[in-house]
Amino acid sequence: MRRRWSRIAAVLSALAVVLGAMACSSSGGNDELLIYNAQHESLTKEWIDAFTKETGVKVTYRQGGDTELGNQLIAEGDASPADVFLTENSPAMAAVEHAGLFADLDAETINQVPSQYRPASGKWTGVAARTTVFVYNKARLQPDQLPKSMLDLEQPAWKGRWGGAPAKADFQAIVSALLQLKGEQATAQWLAGMKTNAVVYNDNIATMKAVNAGEVDGGIIYHYYWFRDQAKTKADSGNTELHYFKNQDPGAFVSLSGGGVLKSSKKAQQAQQFLRFITGKAGQEVLEKGDSFEYTVASGVPANPALVPMNDLQAPVVDPSTLDAQKVSDLMTKGGLL
Amino acid sequence: MVAPPVSRPTAAVSRYDKTSRPGPLVTTTVAILVAATLIPLGYVAWAAVSVGWTRAYDLVVRPRVGELLFNTVALVVITVPLCVVVGVGVAWLVERTDLPGRGFWRPLFVAPLAVPAFVNSYAWVGVIPSLHGLWAGVLVSTLSYFPFMYLPVAATLRRLDPAVEESARALGSDSAGVFFRVVLPQLRLAILGGGLLIGVHLLAEFGAFAMLRFDTFTVAIFQQFQVTFDGAAGSMLAGVLVLLCLVLLVAEALARGRARFARIGSGVPRTATPIRLGRNMLPAQVGLAALTVFALGVPVWTILRWLWIGGADVWVLDDIASALGQTIGLATVAAALTTVLAFPVAWVAVRSSGVLARLVEGANYVTSSLPGIVTALALVTVTIHLARPLYQGVALIVFAYVLLFMPRALVNVRAGLAQVPPSLEEASRSLGSSPTATFLRVTLRLTAPAAAAGASLVFVAVATELTATLLLAPTGTRTLSMRFWSLSSELDYAAAAPYALVLVVLAIPVTLVLFRQSTKVAAL
Amino acid sequence: MTTILEVKGLAKSFHANTVLHDIDLDLQPGTTTAVVGSSGCGKTTLLRLIAGFEAPDDGTITIDGRQVASPESAVAPHRRGVGYVAQDGALFPHLTVGQNIGYGLRGTARGEVRARVSELLESVSLDASYASRRPHQLSGGQQQRVALARALARHPVLMLLDEPFSALDTGLRASTRKTVADLLTNAGVTTLLVTHDQEEAMSIADQVAVMRDGRFTQVGSPQQVYRHPIDRFTAEFLGDCISLPCTVASGVADCALGRIPVQGSTADGPATLVLRPEQLVATVVSDSERLDRVGTVIAADFLGHDVLLTIDPAGDTPPIIVRQHSLNPPPIDAKVRIEVLGNGVVLT
Repeated sequence: MRRRWSRIAAVLSALAVVLGAMACSSSGGNDELLIYNAQHESLTKEWIDAFTKETGVKVTYRQGGDTELGNQLIAEGDASPADVFLTENSPAMAAVEHAGLFADLDAETINQVPSQYRPASGKWTGVAARTTVFVYNKARLQPDQLPKSMLDLEQPAWKGRWGGAPAKADFQAIVSALLQLKGEQATAQWLAGMKTNAVVYNDNIATMKAVNAGEVDGGIIYHYYWFRDQAKTKADSGNTELHYFKNQDPGAFVSLSGGGVLKSSKKAQQAQQFLRFITGKAGQEVLEKGDSFEYTVASGVPANPALVPMNDLQAPVVDPSTLDAQKVSDLMTKGGLL
Repeated sequence: MVAPPVSRPTAAVSRYDKTSRPGPLVTTTVAILVAATLIPLGYVAWAAVSVGWTRAYDLVVRPRVGELLFNTVALVVITVPLCVVVGVGVAWLVERTDLPGRGFWRPLFVAPLAVPAFVNSYAWVGVIPSLHGLWAGVLVSTLSYFPFMYLPVAATLRRLDPAVEESARALGSDSAGVFFRVVLPQLRLAILGGGLLIGVHLLAEFGAFAMLRFDTFTVAIFQQFQVTFDGAAGSMLAGVLVLLCLVLLVAEALARGRARFARIGSGVPRTATPIRLGRNMLPAQVGLAALTVFALGVPVWTILRWLWIGGADVWVLDDIASALGQTIGLATVAAALTTVLAFPVAWVAVRSSGVLARLVEGANYVTSSLPGIVTALALVTVTIHLARPLYQGVALIVFAYVLLFMPRALVNVRAGLAQVPPSLEEASRSLGSSPTATFLRVTLRLTAPAAAAGASLVFVAVATELTATLLLAPTGTRTLSMRFWSLSSELDYAAAAPYALVLVVLAIPVTLVLFRQSTKVAAL
Repeated sequence: MTTILEVKGLAKSFHANTVLHDIDLDLQPGTTTAVVGSSGCGKTTLLRLIAGFEAPDDGTITIDGRQVASPESAVAPHRRGVGYVAQDGALFPHLTVGQNIGYGLRGTARGEVRARVSELLESVSLDASYASRRPHQLSGGQQQRVALARALARHPVLMLLDEPFSALDTGLRASTRKTVADLLTNAGVTTLLVTHDQEEAMSIADQVAVMRDGRFTQVGSPQQVYRHPIDRFTAEFLGDCISLPCTVASGVADCALGRIPVQGSTADGPATLVLRPEQLVATVVSDSERLDRVGTVIAADFLGHDVLLTIDPAGDTPPIIVRQHSLNPPPIDAKVRIEVLGNGVVLT
């Protein structure tokens, strides 16, 4: 009896190992394009599905965060298995660019994207965009009580009344723009103010949820989380409104999601094809028509009609290649936020 | 989930038990394993050295680290005594009083071990969304980890000789006196062992506290890793964490004194007469019911509620099936490998007494207390700089699991081995079986149940592991924990619920094994 | 006739603790030898060295003409052809009785094994149905017999028994002893057993070796070591003795109990005379008889079968304890004369 059970157990284990090995197979697939994807998984999946449908090229991806994947690429160097790098924000792209890991993009791709949505170097391009906003609880703040500039939030008057997610790449991109626009001292000062005043949340969604629940009066997030929730159940944003800083304020920073081809890629042609696709009409229409609510940046495709038009945002001009992620994390570490 | 340190008995050690020297194959294997377990420590030391003294100082001595230190230390200092009170109290009520339905309560309080701590956090945040900070961390930790105290204490209570307590009563002590002056001192080893286990889990936990917005060292290290990858600040934080772990170890060793193993008698001649609760019956039952509701009711109800809200949509069978397949595959391979490798190590620890045996003991202690994140960081650095082909491979993550969970398999295999008297092996050898044949025909057969328990513990530990998996998994790996984590991070609680359910269901058989093992040990 | 076991100059230390010093022992075929000594004297170490579980530091062990151990080399236990029965039997708990007994018969045809198992069970007076039982279902004595059968299964040239009866209840001990002794004799197997019970040693063995602190004090037949002990320790270890100071002159010892002949050549002068309890008989004397060499009974302990009389002899001699049968014992305060039967032993 005992022997029978141990034989059954042995067979089951062998099965489990085989199953697991099959399911776990890494991207050894020869024909598959490998994307290191820091963009939202749902959006990238939409892009991949549309791309594969049109071109037949199979794609797989490794999901992670901007800085995490960026640093991983830098550490991997030219032995990296990745073909394409997609991010939510620009600093990670800038870092990888400065490490000399990107290949030049095809002229065709470049021509599809207006110059304000890509760096001058031509090593990568914007593929989508999002704007910084101040989400606030309608019951707790009247329009005249709203901050005029993002820098107001460092004032003592805002102690305990606003929230953000400093550990995430999204927020760090905003800080990197601040660094670019106002310099190191002003940024350090603002970060110190944040340390004293702000309630720390895990990410944008948690911040928005907290504002909605009235835990804090307002928070710094990216616009599309609000729009996504509004389009669904409004469970996390029903009590809130968005405030756009405008006037080229750092708080009106428009962050570019980037896409680039790795020099080390062994499938350069398909990689370039992919970038051409997502910055082309079909790819950008995914942004326009889909439910990601991020801004379009290329091929003249207009933004999702629900959004405030890009031109009305009065965003400050920032060269995405110059955003310094390392400096931001140093400043945040020094400021005790990390 | 780790085996509580109940099963550390030993047959009477005669001077003959420890003179056998292990063969060269065993020695080499064990030496390699011991060296491997020192990789995380080596990494932290190397990082400290390469960062340079001044920068290391700047990175460690700053207000943020002070915050983290306060949070982490406060967490441990508050939660462990709380767990002692809850664990000992419940064990006492269930084992020594005339509480009705004891047979029902007994296994029930082992059940919280089937709910991973991060699922528990998820459940509580679902009930009280604004729950965060130190007290939230204390609440969730106590509810998740008190069984680690309850199990060994209950098992010890079962084994205590009632004659000692009866003598105390005859000398004039009342129930309270008997408990504090006679019973509690005999529970010392179980409490210390359980406390150490809980402390170590607290230091290593990531998901539960991140969800509660409570920053401990492990949470901060993970954040640093996401920001700077192979960076100095993260390694320095890891260094402080390692120091905290060592402090815990030293504290427990000092408190334990010279007693190394919980002594097992040859069985209790009879069970103690249950203490009558009388007036305290109702408060006791209410207390136990409340504990059950908090520890089990909340997670189960929340998961079911989210499943109900999510409806059929959240059951994306493809994703769930692939996650389940990958999780089971990884967990099975890791469990099998770890248990097989635990044998030579256990052999050296139990049957020999040389330098190697002592190294094994020490290394075992250290690795059992290091958080998964330090090991994962170390392995990432080592493979990127020294062994690139292994990087992001399945072999690496299985290796990480072996390093992380070897102590859990080891505790069980050691206990099993210690219960095989050398006289049986000698008898077999005198009957003509070579040492290898003896091992296969006698030792292995008799150690099999303990080894199986160890393997199942490792299985569940791997299935619910989060941090190391996030850092080391090959591209395209999505275990149940990873999927749960990414969904609940996006606050898509309904979609995360099926994964929580599967994780809990996977862990239930092992919880049963743990429970049965503790009763068996008590009956020895 | 070749000796089955020859131990020469054996020495063994554990961590700077010398356990055995210069042990010599020979075992003739078909005989039973008992090594007696108190716990910790080294007798179990000797057994384990012969079995092969330890290696000697010095000296040699030869089994049936083949040298199996020396400081340079040692034959592994599974190749020595020695049967070993541990103190607690050490039956394999995961095997049935039949499988236990057949354990060493690997490679033999199944039918043959079964036949041999039945044969062995019968020889240890256990019913054949026991073969399918598990060790925990047997009593201590039965387990011991199965362990014996298991060791005998391979027709070993030498059987080693480690305190085989110490784990049994006293009542069982005597009968099991007899069974085992007969079994071993009938099988013609050379046996070495160690024990701390001197009665056990002397009743079973053809040769008794008394061990003290790792050395043999005396080796000889039971009668030899009992009647002619070589020193005080051996004498006291093997049984009760009564020691009296005396003066020896030409083969006669003059002591408080009179003039007792002593055996062997002993130097004249003061010495200690050792007598065994069975050599003393206390007879009641009527007051009218001469009052020399007469003592008074000061205590009597009734033991059922025997009575222990504490007798205070005349003079400075301390009280002597005499054991005799309990029928009509002398009452307290009675005057008794102690008679000594046989020779005494003089020890320096």
